[in-house]
Amino acid sequence: MDHPPAPRLVEAALRCYPARWRDRHGQEAAELAVLLIRDGTPAGSVAFSYLAGAAREWLTPRPERRLTALACALLVAACSLGASAGLLASAGPARAASTSQPSARAHCRSGPPGSVPGVTAADSHPQVIIWEARHGRPC
Amino acid sequence: MVVTRRDGKAGQDVLRRVGEASVLILISLADGPKHGYALILDIKELAGVELGPGTLYGALDRLERLGLIDPLPAEDRRHPYRITAPGAAALRVHLDSLERVSAAGRLRLQLGGI
Repeated sequence: MDHPPAPRLVEAALRCYPARWRDRHGQEAAELAVLLIRDGTPAGSVAFSYLAGAAREWLTPRPERRLTALACALLVAACSLGASAGLLASAGPARAASTSQPSARAHCRSGPPGSVPGVTAADSHPQVIIWEARHGRPC
Repeated sequence: MVVTRRDGKAGQDVLRRVGEASVLILISLADGPKHGYALILDIKELAGVELGPGTLYGALDRLERLGLIDPLPAEDRRHPYRITAPGAAALRVHLDSLERVSAAGRLRLQLGGI
């Protein structure tokens, strides 16, 4: 029996389904689209219905897909943890360096903190306060 | 009047959460096997609902996974489906439930004088 082809729009929508679905329903779905369009349903409406169906088909959890989804979720979680740990590790020494860079001389020098070589006034002042809080005595 | 569920535990009415399309498909298949196009035409006639083809295949797959319908050997490119015994039982439970709710609703409308 000769079947007229489904409109391109419908064929494109049908290609959005998973291969397993297309193997099973593809030909019948294309024929159904031709019949519905012949009955007066707009081709765009048929194509949209198949497109929405394809989205649902991909989004509906299937038993065989559950294991893959779980593996993917674990992989993503591991990558996120790794990336976070990497960021913390790289930020840690930098922070330590920025707090330890001004030497004890910086706190104990008389005069304004801005005069310490290599340390700007903006970040040297809070460090003096931290030092005083830790040691309980001013320089 | 208090509406109580006579079917016992929640979940026995497996069609409660499958959606209207699936229930309409089961009702359409109740009088004999049909393929997709025949289902769409029959549902339009019996309920005035135009099922989109994407919705139809989604519902058919869901009902088949639940064991409520069975595919029959293909005729040309068309796959007819038939309702299974569990499918018929589930449809009965669901229709009974709808009837009870419907009766309660009508009674309340009557009592309320609306």
